[in-house]
Amino acid sequence: MAQGTRAGRDGWRAAALLTPAFVGLCVFVIGPALVSAFVAGTDKNLTGPDFHWVGTANLREALADPDLGQAVRNTLVYCLLTVIPSVLFGLLLALAAERVTRGRAAVRFALFLPASANIVAMAVVFEYIFDSSPEGLANTLVGFVGIDPVNWLGDRATALPVVALVGGWRLTSFVFVVYLAGLTAIPRSVYEAADVDGVRGLARLRHVTLPLLAPTTVFLGVFVTVLTLQTFETVAVLTEGGPLDSSTTIIYYIYKVGFTGSFRIGYASMIALLLLVAVVLVGAAGALLGRRVRVARQLDGVGEPGARGAVAEGGRS
Amino acid sequence: MTSEAARPRHRAGAGQASGRAGGRGQTHGPKRPAGASRGAVPRWSSLSAVGRFGFLAVGITAALLPFLWMLRTALGPPQNALRLSANPIPSSVGFGAFENAWQAGDLGPALLTGIGVSLAVLALQLLTGIPAAYAFAWVPFRGRGPLFAVVLATLLVPPQVTAVPNYVTISALGFADTRVGLVLPFMTQAAAIFLLRQYMTTIPVSVLEAARMDGLGTLRTLRTVVVPLSMPAIATVSVFSFLLSFNEYLWPLLVARSPDIATPPLALAGLATRTSAFPDFTQLAAGSLIISLPTLVVFVVAQRRLTAGITGTGLAT
Repeated sequence: MAQGTRAGRDGWRAAALLTPAFVGLCVFVIGPALVSAFVAGTDKNLTGPDFHWVGTANLREALADPDLGQAVRNTLVYCLLTVIPSVLFGLLLALAAERVTRGRAAVRFALFLPASANIVAMAVVFEYIFDSSPEGLANTLVGFVGIDPVNWLGDRATALPVVALVGGWRLTSFVFVVYLAGLTAIPRSVYEAADVDGVRGLARLRHVTLPLLAPTTVFLGVFVTVLTLQTFETVAVLTEGGPLDSSTTIIYYIYKVGFTGSFRIGYASMIALLLLVAVVLVGAAGALLGRRVRVARQLDGVGEPGARGAVAEGGRS
Repeated sequence: MTSEAARPRHRAGAGQASGRAGGRGQTHGPKRPAGASRGAVPRWSSLSAVGRFGFLAVGITAALLPFLWMLRTALGPPQNALRLSANPIPSSVGFGAFENAWQAGDLGPALLTGIGVSLAVLALQLLTGIPAAYAFAWVPFRGRGPLFAVVLATLLVPPQVTAVPNYVTISALGFADTRVGLVLPFMTQAAAIFLLRQYMTTIPVSVLEAARMDGLGTLRTLRTVVVPLSMPAIATVSVFSFLLSFNEYLWPLLVARSPDIATPPLALAGLATRTSAFPDFTQLAAGSLIISLPTLVVFVVAQRRLTAGITGTGLAT
């Protein structure tokens, strides 16, 4: 009985604490998402108030839409070109920067810069760097190795990779920030223990550092993938999806269909809904993987408890 | 999550164990210099040190290059802009472009709007996020898991999906084309709740029990115990929140119709389109640098706290 009242009191306490946050989330995220899910079944157009329920017509149209297919392929290419390189380079940079003893602050400052940069401002600058003229910075650089000037943002073959390069440039810095934090969290004692056991250099990286960073890696993999699936600014400022839709990502296609030209917000919502399903699947896969990584760490004893055991053994021998 | 709660104590234990092993370790002579605590970590061979510094140098160059390019363009004469030409160092240096950009782009008011909006968003996110995070971390109530999952799921909703319904809501409330309209939709941020909650779970139970014994109510416990203990996480959330709102592009694009409430990215984009007939690249580069400054300053000032905050949130190790 006493427990019941205690639980009841907790319930009211929780409700009071959660209400402000849930008002915000319901009014500006959950509600609108549900509205979008409804609109996805209509022929709603932003230019007029009238709309009709069209059932699965939008879904059928989306599945057969060649432009959407192109946008999906572009987005997958973009992900492939950004996610793995940015996580890999971010990790390597963090590993290298962590060992720097002199000029530490300056090194970190330089590598933090891209993450804090304004993407619109950076896109403007990258537009000049990848200017089509032979005297543009990128063309001057490739000129040194004897490559003819490239119309970077105006060529179907290079537009998407260049946009991905700009996105990856920024993501790498973000990954670096998170990995650096992860590395600082590894206690010195774990390395000392590994040292006593004769585990050094690459072996230490493989058997100690990387396993301890596994949860960070899973988080970054999922988070960065979700971020890149929602790429908008770089495309909007650098190429506007062109040339000939060669750099149109899914989100940019949604923007194009819903907010420009025909203003078909109903159809745009259906595409957004499909994207949401894809993103949720990625998120769920990440959550499962994250759980498995944690469990595996406990079973293997690669974590702090295991390392502590190693220290104890080293002390005894 | 209990494992995370237990971690700080755990780490302290590992530290003690290592102190002992470190002392003994030297007696049976691992090949490393004794002394300095950092020296306990084996140094990499000089070859890999060269590789490491080479890699760092490449990374730092890549991170800085666009900023240096911006600076060079902004400082040099217009005919030098965009083109690398014969001399990469501008033939003459002047600050005229900064003055032009400042005036032509109305950057002063835009910066004030940007900073004001970002701070207001941050205040609301902390006001809604801290109580919610506390409830999810420490108040046992029915449906806590599923509700927390709902909060996390909102992270996956692409902003483009909610843009149109939010625009309708903001207009209906009479906040279209106002600063309030720029702020409100971001009043609650699931990522902030998540990070704060992860950090709060590391507060020892005994501290909260003591607060309860002293007869502190929930709000006073929050204010006098939980918030001071959670400062690293609050700092991290603040930095990321400020960066995101200051750089937000899509929502201001939809809501801020009149130029006098333009945010910095909008002002910059306006500068780009207004000058497109005869683009003054020096002015655009100067504008890009000006609007990048506030976030750079925030990032640099906060970088140490940032690492500490990420470390405590359970994202790392």
